[in-house]
Amino acid sequence: MAILLMGHPNVGKSAVFNRLTGANITESNYPGTTVDFTEGYTYIDGKEYKVIDVPGTFSTDPKDEAEKVALDILAEHEDPIVLVVIDSTKIERGLYLAFEIMERGYKVMIALNMWDDAEKHDLSIDVDQLEEILGVPVVPTVAISGKGISTLVENVPTASRVDIERLREKITSL
Amino acid sequence: MKLDPEERWRLIDRVARETVEYGAERSTIGSVLAELTVKPLTGIPFAFAVLYGFWGFFDAFAGFFTDGFFVPLFDDHWLPWIQEAFPLKGSWLYYVLVGDPEAVNSFEALGMLTSGFFVAIGVVLPAIVAFYLVITILEDSGYMPRLAVLVDTVLHKIGLHGFAVVPMILSLGCNVPGVASTRTLETKKQRFMIMILLSVFIPCGAQLGVMLSLIPEYFGYIMIYLVTGFFVFGWVLNKLLPGRSPEIITDVPPLRTPTIANVSRKLWVKVKGFFTNAIPFVLLGVGLVNLLYLGGVISWIANSLEPLFTGWFGIPKETVAPLIAGFLRKDLAVAQLSAIDMSGFQLITSVVIISIYFPCIATFSMIIKEGRKSGGVIRVLGGGLLTLVTVVFLWGGLLHLIGILLGVT
Repeated sequence: MAILLMGHPNVGKSAVFNRLTGANITESNYPGTTVDFTEGYTYIDGKEYKVIDVPGTFSTDPKDEAEKVALDILAEHEDPIVLVVIDSTKIERGLYLAFEIMERGYKVMIALNMWDDAEKHDLSIDVDQLEEILGVPVVPTVAISGKGISTLVENVPTASRVDIERLREKITSL
Repeated sequence: MKLDPEERWRLIDRVARETVEYGAERSTIGSVLAELTVKPLTGIPFAFAVLYGFWGFFDAFAGFFTDGFFVPLFDDHWLPWIQEAFPLKGSWLYYVLVGDPEAVNSFEALGMLTSGFFVAIGVVLPAIVAFYLVITILEDSGYMPRLAVLVDTVLHKIGLHGFAVVPMILSLGCNVPGVASTRTLETKKQRFMIMILLSVFIPCGAQLGVMLSLIPEYFGYIMIYLVTGFFVFGWVLNKLLPGRSPEIITDVPPLRTPTIANVSRKLWVKVKGFFTNAIPFVLLGVGLVNLLYLGGVISWIANSLEPLFTGWFGIPKETVAPLIAGFLRKDLAVAQLSAIDMSGFQLITSVVIISIYFPCIATFSMIIKEGRKSGGVIRVLGGGLLTLVTVVFLWGGLLHLIGILLGVT
């Protein structure tokens, strides 16, 4: 089983990857640090998962070589779990990518990373409600300090596909 | 089922309205500083201050360890000891491993165990540590994209945009990751241009370290000449090559305090990489050049290329040996110049030629690898070699001409 870490550039995918796999790949505070993918392994409930740190991508409509790498990886894996990593202070556009991936029928879960930044900006996100609306696990994390990572790991088996038709109805009726 | 973008945004807006509450934006010291570093009026002086600080630290750190510690260690203890202790004086093995039995400094001995170790550990290692310490702090603080925004206008003049500054700065450490990072640029034209320009004109950290230790008095001239070349040939390539140079819209992340854990981890990865990838190449380079000397190959090449070297570039024909070493390591090539008798201006010219004549083998293989994704290997290599030959002849020859006009040759 594969877990693909996807998200915009510079949201902390590599930091989440290092936390999940115990690896030592480069984390930097600027977009475009990861231009090629990195693989690692992690065990959850005795089951082995391959974890892949995918280069940052804004949408599933590629714009440069690093984004093309991202989409190739998505296409290559059979029925992966896509862990969409979102910068909590820029939640809308993170959700845009998450929606695109859900529409493609992948199993999805969401990490609201940089949660500490959101707190600093007095931004409050109702995680339970968000989870309820989307129907996929949503976990606040601070990857560089490791906060929320264990909850993230516990939720991996519950990552799920989303019926877009029903999601649309649910949102419209809010 | 797929949504169209408009509907997708409508749904997301709705979700966000339900689940997200925005508080009042407060200004903090961090957010004020974050603003000041991107506004040109304050940002440009700040950028100069940062780069000057970077340079000052690099110089002081590398100088402290190299001149203060490694030079005395190697020159006063290691070199005389190994010259005596190594058996078989006069044999080819002695020549390859120890080099000149009479040499009094480790740059000029030219053996694998003398100059090889000294250059790798005594000169280049401190430079690498100093460089990556600062670059990691710059990366983790979020300063790099700010610099990209500031230099955007300038780089547009040569058909690149602000983010091309990231490969440029990374190349000052090592050209290999510099070439790899060109992948984030959008068009084939941009990728080709920056790949060629940086592998020709930007000296790597290892080479900078050796230059700083060996010829600090000429350092500034060499850098100015190389940077000027970068922009002159960038401008020309931009005019000649077809293709687009798009604008960028980029996120400038907030300034963050780098964590000691992440900085030390990245630094460790670089230092480990240096021990496993670079040191063997330095030693191999010294050994190879010595063997070629013994086999008479170097003097044969030197004699056949003499008209080119002395006539066109105005440098001694013996420079051919360092140039051969330069295929493996540029730092080694510069170090080997110390054993050749020449004038100051010739030394400047030689270092410039070493920088531009051909990328080192590691960079070259990275260009081949990345070339596949940037318009095909044949096109990238063909175009690259053509550019390279032109640059070497024109830019190298021009320097000779400048020397003649200044009357310093």
